Amino acid sequence: MFTGLIRTVILYLLIISGIRLMGKRQVGELEPSELVLSLIIADLASVPMQDFGIPLLTGIIPILTLLSITMILSVLTTKSVRFRTLLCGRPSIIIRDGLVDQHEMARNRLTVDELLEELRCKGYTDPSVVKYAILETNGQLSVLPYANQKPPTARQLKVSVEEGGLPLVVVSDGHLLEHNLTALGKDRRWLDKRLKERGCSGPESVFLLLVDQNGAVYLARKNEDS
Amino acid sequence: MKRLWIAAALLGVMLAGSLTNAWYAQSMTEGFNRRLEQAQALAREEEWDRAAKITRAVYEDWQGRHFYLHTVMRHSDTDQILRSFRSVMQYLDLQEMDQYAAANADLMTQLELLAEMEQASFTNVL
Repeated sequence: MFTGLIRTVILYLLIISGIRLMGKRQVGELEPSELVLSLIIADLASVPMQDFGIPLLTGIIPILTLLSITMILSVLTTKSVRFRTLLCGRPSIIIRDGLVDQHEMARNRLTVDELLEELRCKGYTDPSVVKYAILETNGQLSVLPYANQKPPTARQLKVSVEEGGLPLVVVSDGHLLEHNLTALGKDRRWLDKRLKERGCSGPESVFLLLVDQNGAVYLARKNEDS
Repeated sequence: MKRLWIAAALLGVMLAGSLTNAWYAQSMTEGFNRRLEQAQALAREEEWDRAAKITRAVYEDWQGRHFYLHTVMRHSDTDQILRSFRSVMQYLDLQEMDQYAAANADLMTQLELLAEMEQASFTNVL
């Protein structure tokens, strides 16, 4: 038991260090400590599940140890900026004023192809139009273009637009969700009228019906053969 | 901050539990081995009945801790010790000194190793 406890602590810290050294690109959307926890816990739980010759405690003790360490680390990261930087790293500015920082790319083991791919995913093909590209601690690339490259907003164009509000599902796969209809302040009569306008006999012939707070309707009929 | 203390307390409880387990396993196996040595000394003096009685009592004590052993130790290790107990008792019944001594030494080593595996030592961690 003691051996299991100490081994778990050592291995956890070792894997966290390894993930930190590998760089942010390997992390994906998780923080390093979350990734390590999810990697190990599933494996730890499966061993005593499959091997009945091993006491259940040998699975439970390491899992409880990992959860306790993770809880301690999460509290420490909220309390101390320095500790948070140590555990999660800090964001790296990969592009500044349209110029690619090769040193930061090498430090984060980010290749040119990966950078261009991320930029294309965000809708930019030319790094020179990017004011800042920041590699976040969770591995995501945030791209902030120059102000003159951003699409203008309605406010900048001095155009008044209506707020659509949150659309709610009123009919889902032929089933009427009455609580959503009530939440929108509408009744069955209103719904039947809208359905009739669109040539539907009733909710059972509708695949999806969305209504926003202004009464705008989106309707998708059910396929005949489904 | 409450979460920090709960996690620290949980780790503390597990650490205390593992150290208590190490101490308990050590004292349990030391007690068994002392009595098994005593039985072997009696067997050497041809007091087979007394040796068998002591060994059987140790075996019953071992069986009495079945729940603890199965909860904490690897089942393959405890099963092996159970087999060794049965062999030792068989050789005692047959009054075969050479084979009994070898089987008893093997049993005592297995008990020692079982406790050693649970100890809070640097070598075990590595």
